[in-house]
Amino acid sequence: MNKWQSTLVIVLVLVGLVAGAKIYLAPKKAQINIQTARAKGNPQARVKIVEFIDFQCPACAYGMKFLKTFIGQHPDDIYVQVRYFPLTNMHHHAMISALYSECAARQGKFWELEDLMIPQQGQWAQLISPEPVFQAMAAQVGMDINQLNSCLASDDARKVINDEKALGQSLGIASTPTYFINNKMVVGVKSLQDELKTYFPN
Amino acid sequence: MYLVLRIVIGGIFIFSGLSKVLSPYQNFLYIIQDYQLLPSWGEVLTAQLFPWIELIVGVFVFLGLWTSWGLRGALVLSGIFVVVVGQALIRGLSLENCGCFGGWVHLKPQAVIVLDSASLLLTSLMLRNISLTKKISLDSYFEKA
Repeated sequence: MNKWQSTLVIVLVLVGLVAGAKIYLAPKKAQINIQTARAKGNPQARVKIVEFIDFQCPACAYGMKFLKTFIGQHPDDIYVQVRYFPLTNMHHHAMISALYSECAARQGKFWELEDLMIPQQGQWAQLISPEPVFQAMAAQVGMDINQLNSCLASDDARKVINDEKALGQSLGIASTPTYFINNKMVVGVKSLQDELKTYFPN
Repeated sequence: MYLVLRIVIGGIFIFSGLSKVLSPYQNFLYIIQDYQLLPSWGEVLTAQLFPWIELIVGVFVFLGLWTSWGLRGALVLSGIFVVVVGQALIRGLSLENCGCFGGWVHLKPQAVIVLDSASLLLTSLMLRNISLTKKISLDSYFEKA
């Protein structure tokens, strides 16, 4: 075999091996479970979005604000479900903010808490401990504080968050925000906006 | 020494390319968008093609096959990284992660500039001493055959 032939073989083997590995490791499709307190919009909507976020991630905050406005403009056409993907190696308050959100969801106050947590992200993200702020927010939205604290102390909420992060990783997620729009993966708000334009050209 | 350098530089490019190729391209696309350099179609094309180019250049350098061309490819890639990351830093763009190794390794942009500048230097050195760089390589095998 001469050098050119060897080169061709090496490239073909390389591409074949890597492509094979890619297929073998291919993420599974995101399934939307509509039985969740972390969803809003029309469950029968033609556009269903599963959103994996880290509550301390600035881009996620921007994405949530954008989606809130977008749902307001297209209330019957969008369904959004939030899943947890705390980037604990980068954001010190990623887990605690997710825990408060999950505990709020268990009291049916997920969106009310997010309406306070997201706009104030810039402030609480700088704190050594954001818990006093989150406790105040929880009281403000009418949560049962005893129930909240029991939830925070239990392992169950943390398990839900960790399970959703593991699910996200199995779907190939590496960054937040990551969205699955009718099962198509897009990462970041720019790609989200580009993809939504294909459904809502005007 | 040049053999070790070649293997290390080739290995880094293989690792860099593989980390992106094995992950959904959308993850690398997100990183590219942060650099705000290309139009949308350019960003998608880069996200899908660039990792493969890195991987193939890495393999060629690692194996010492078409070594001069592989090293020139590595030089160009390293130069591109330095320019792209440098312009982002100059423009004050917010980059938490350079995206160089997909989601496998997170490097601050400043570290990337240092790493890729070193890669430029070392690759140039190898090109200048190509006969030593090719001492144990597929190229030398085919030259003897």
